[in-house]
Amino acid sequence: MKVFFFFLLKKIIILFIVLLITLFITIFLLSSTFDQIMKDSIRTQVIESISSAISKNSNIHQFKNSDERQKFIDQQIKLQSQSFGLDEPWYSPKKIFNNVLKIITLDLGKSRFATTFNGSSSVNDLILEKMPYTILLFTSSSITIIIISLFFGAYLASKEGKIMDKFISGLASISQGVPTWWFSMIMIVFFSFYLRVLPSGSTPLIPPNGSGYTADLLYHMTLPFITLVIIGFAPSVYYVKYIISRILNEDFIKTLKIMGIPQKSILYKHALKNAGPQLTTMFGLGLAGTLGGSVLVEQVFDWPGMGNLFYNAIFQSDSPLIIGLVYFFALIYLLTRLILDVCFTYFDPRIRSEES
Amino acid sequence: MVKRIMQINNKFIKENEGGIIGIILILFLIGMTFYALFLIPTQLRLHWNDPLYWSNNPRDAAPSWINYFLKLFNYQLPEHKIFYQKDALRNYINYIEFKQQNNTFSYKFNFNEFPSAIDIPYTIIVGKIPPVIDIYIKRPDNLEFEIYSNSLDSNNIKPITNGNDTNNNTLNHNILSSNTVSGRIYSSSQEVKNALNNYSNLFKFSIANLSPEKIIFSETNSNKPLTGKYEIIFSIYSFDSNTILKDLNIIIQGKVFGLLGTDELRRDVFFGILIGTPVDLFIGVTVAISSTFIGLFYGLIAGYKERKIGTFMLLIIDIFLTLPSLILLIIISLHFGRNLLFLIGLFILFGWPGLALLNRTFSIQIKNYQYVQASKLMGESDLKIVLRHIVPQLLPFTLANFALAVPAAILGESALSFLGLGDPSFPTWGQMLQDAHTSSAETLGYWWWIVSPGFMISITSVTFILLGRSSEKFFKMDKKR
Repeated sequence: MKVFFFFLLKKIIILFIVLLITLFITIFLLSSTFDQIMKDSIRTQVIESISSAISKNSNIHQFKNSDERQKFIDQQIKLQSQSFGLDEPWYSPKKIFNNVLKIITLDLGKSRFATTFNGSSSVNDLILEKMPYTILLFTSSSITIIIISLFFGAYLASKEGKIMDKFISGLASISQGVPTWWFSMIMIVFFSFYLRVLPSGSTPLIPPNGSGYTADLLYHMTLPFITLVIIGFAPSVYYVKYIISRILNEDFIKTLKIMGIPQKSILYKHALKNAGPQLTTMFGLGLAGTLGGSVLVEQVFDWPGMGNLFYNAIFQSDSPLIIGLVYFFALIYLLTRLILDVCFTYFDPRIRSEES
Repeated sequence: MVKRIMQINNKFIKENEGGIIGIILILFLIGMTFYALFLIPTQLRLHWNDPLYWSNNPRDAAPSWINYFLKLFNYQLPEHKIFYQKDALRNYINYIEFKQQNNTFSYKFNFNEFPSAIDIPYTIIVGKIPPVIDIYIKRPDNLEFEIYSNSLDSNNIKPITNGNDTNNNTLNHNILSSNTVSGRIYSSSQEVKNALNNYSNLFKFSIANLSPEKIIFSETNSNKPLTGKYEIIFSIYSFDSNTILKDLNIIIQGKVFGLLGTDELRRDVFFGILIGTPVDLFIGVTVAISSTFIGLFYGLIAGYKERKIGTFMLLIIDIFLTLPSLILLIIISLHFGRNLLFLIGLFILFGWPGLALLNRTFSIQIKNYQYVQASKLMGESDLKIVLRHIVPQLLPFTLANFALAVPAAILGESALSFLGLGDPSFPTWGQMLQDAHTSSAETLGYWWWIVSPGFMISITSVTFILLGRSSEKFFKMDKKR
């Protein structure tokens, strides 16, 4: 258990370092705009605090004219900027510390152009509004792929070398070489231009609080969902088959066969169970991968998720939104990896002993 | 002996269908690369982003071979037709005060759809008095439309300077005050629309909202294409002897063009595919070579070195593997601009760690082999051991890794290009797809513009995946023997 704990600690430290590196790169590249965001937020804070002070206690902070008030505000802003190190160059430790602290505590500021359905332009609100869509599309398609590949892969493992097996392995090669976003464009041409059965843009037409929203959302989700499943299932089936057919060659399976346990039971009960750890890792990695690649697919389908938000943020150079999204993407990605690593080591003790 | 080799060959072919297909595909790609590099002049390649160069092509035209398929359904899309000055039947009529020059082009129109437009670019050398241009269209049903009639706008007239056009110098010797006017009459222009409105009583339907080519080539009873022989007459009424028609084209914009059609900017998609091949292959191969090389040696050293250095090197690999690469790639290339070499550098930066990790594992295994241990005891230097004993063992495996690293780079580059972060001076397939997406080609059904670049990306990736897999298989077989 002690070894496991150390391993976990090491992984967490690595992930934290990576998160910091990602943030540093982002802050370094977008530092000038980042300063502007900080200054803006300080300005609004100062003005708000003064006006609330005036309204609470009208006798104390009375300014003779607007000039004097402006002077006071400027002075306050300057003081606060200095305390955050905004007047120093980007490499000053104080400033970097402040910036990173701000991002880590999710103080991400306001987007310049995008707004949520309720009209809020806070980066946090925007991301929280879009995240469920991304998760809905990619998890549902991944789960479908997993279910297909578990059954189909196990079935193929018992039929190695047959035509179906060769076909799937060829299809796996092809689907790894085909860009998903290009395939999405082809699917749009086919299903919404020629057949005219599914919409090309996937943003639901009914507003989120309208009636029939769920049905409309599912209707618009159909095409991206089908696309992701078609492009993703063959490699997945191929790997499941590969893992299970390796297990089928092991001695204990042969023993089970000699004991007269039916083929189906061996395949779906014993072989699948033993393939558990490897399969978990594989599917988990796949899930993490699709979330990263979602930017292009969401953009092609105009799916209202985080990837599409990121694409638009890049093209409008909406720096607060870019920084916020990079942080979120990195966080999701790293958390998935951490969970996977933990699962993998928990299931497969050999890794631990080799590492330490 | 020969029989045995034949047997092995047969077995090899049977077990490596993928590899054979891969080799055929790679030869095809190399052929395309050579064609693009040596048979297309560099000058021509630079025209890709120059809209003027493509102005004589039709816009959004489908590949011309689809007419062969449509023939089965008795349906034909209009082909692109360019008439040159030499195709014209010319006659001159001299009046007392002016001279009339007619250029008659006869056009056989037998398609089931209207052409997409008519463009008439012309160049005329003008004397003192600007001439009048008249364009008539004689239809198969003997109707005659005057679609354009105007005197050359004097604002357009620009005097020729001597250095401007060397071909004209000989002509200019005799003509003292001469100017050339180059213009382009578009069927979509307001003048043509207004001219056609005069004939609205001939049609049994409203032509007010139709574009001119749908009126000119339409039956009078219903708005369907009228097939038959058309005559397009371009007449110049000149008032002095110095007016000369220098160049004239009649371009009937078709709906099919070339091998792979054209895009929104009238560019030939096939040309784009061709000149994209060397660029995409260069990116893929360079990135793959560099990252396999770095990965090989980094992994070897990380596996070979004991304890602290090895652990530290492994830590660096771990960090690189955990970085969210696509997002960092986007952020970095967004900031540092769109330079091809810079992009290649970025792909190498994110490409090597995976290979390094694999090579490290192998290096640890080989390190413990007895003959390596023996040479170590004999006092050979670390470098020599690595180069002489470990590297040759890993070479076949590295070759497979190289082949599998190419598609990753090509797919990555196309993804970045699709996001608009590619190097615009080197057109790639990804950039073509980006153009298609920004002009919403998918919803407009311009499949040829989407299918071909993506198909090339996929073909290239699949080629290298097949080669990589079968070389892995081949070396495994080799070992068994």
